[in-house]
Amino acid sequence: MILNFIIQLAVSFVATLGFAIVFFAPKAELIYCGLTGALGWIIYYCMLAADVHIAVACIVATACLTILARAFAVLRKNPATVYLLTGIFPLVPGAGIYYTAYYLFMGNQSMFTSKGMETFMTAGGIVFGIIFGFSIPQKLFSRLERFSVK
Amino acid sequence: MADTKEILTLAVEIGDAMLRNGAEIYRVEDVVLRILESYQVEEYDVYVISNGIFASANENREDACSMIRHVPLGAVDLGKLSVLNQLTRDLCEHKCSVSDAWDRLDACKEQKLYTKMLLILGCGLGCGGFSYLFGGQPIDAVVAFFIGILEKMLLMNFAKHKLSGVLSNVFASSFVTILSILVLLTGLPIMQDKVVIGAIMPLVPGIAFTTSIRDFYNGDYLSGTIHLIDALLTALCIAVGVCISIWLSHQFGGGALL
Repeated sequence: MILNFIIQLAVSFVATLGFAIVFFAPKAELIYCGLTGALGWIIYYCMLAADVHIAVACIVATACLTILARAFAVLRKNPATVYLLTGIFPLVPGAGIYYTAYYLFMGNQSMFTSKGMETFMTAGGIVFGIIFGFSIPQKLFSRLERFSVK
Repeated sequence: MADTKEILTLAVEIGDAMLRNGAEIYRVEDVVLRILESYQVEEYDVYVISNGIFASANENREDACSMIRHVPLGAVDLGKLSVLNQLTRDLCEHKCSVSDAWDRLDACKEQKLYTKMLLILGCGLGCGGFSYLFGGQPIDAVVAFFIGILEKMLLMNFAKHKLSGVLSNVFASSFVTILSILVLLTGLPIMQDKVVIGAIMPLVPGIAFTTSIRDFYNGDYLSGTIHLIDALLTALCIAVGVCISIWLSHQFGGGALL
């Protein structure tokens, strides 16, 4: 269980870091992009393992990673976009898109509807997660400025 | 004191570069306004949408000027965003002269942070990692890693020949699906669906979707809609590409494969 947890954490870190390179994130920020992605994924993974509804898991995970991205933005003096856009990748419903298309093509109506709904709810979860994450006033984050490393 | 036109051009050029590389609307407007403000330009206004910038300055004076830019939707480059962010900061605090700013802007446009090899490798790592995260076995991750590498090379070629986004998404997603079916045919014990899910991750419109939400959140409904349509269209293209490949495999493989 613990080992599995560590593996998930490490793999999501590396995968996010890989995509951060593809989207030209600055070299010094790659680690932080990876951390943002790993945090979002591990929260999502643990909540799904604890049988939480997929939409709720998505909202909480996205909100947490958005908050982390904004904290990094203040600490590292970079736009929050850098961490948010890369960190969100593990939660984007790529699997949902694939299965929805696959079952549509196979004519499996019930699986198509269920996967389609799941994709839709994941996307909706991301929407509300980001909105919650951004509704925290910037003032609170500005207090972190004295810990800034740059 | 630099004249209005020069400041406005610089501000709009920086805004243009930020928009091109994937900044959200609110930030672009904020940057242009801040630069104009810090150089004592009066009566300015700026309006930004996903693919254009409109700005004017010193409206009731002799040297009034205005500017319109068309900015096509492009690929995201977070490194350039970061550099432009720093440039704006320095410019507003007058740590950097206007002519230096032009030089730094030009240097930023040419900036290439990573070599092609590293980009290809990064894409492979991402594909392999996501294949594992979404329930694949280590062997699926390894296959997805190699497919991701080939996919990135294909995408780079598409970009070089300026193939439209719609076509390159359809081709790339059907390419990875066909490759995964071919690997399955060789008899390797892979889960074909997990491999494809990992390998389509570079195409999935996570960035367009996130930008769209942020635009909606800031009240830029028009730009949010443009990005949302972009994201939906990309998702549709991926689905079409996957379906084409499965159809082909049914035509030539009798459907026994999947």
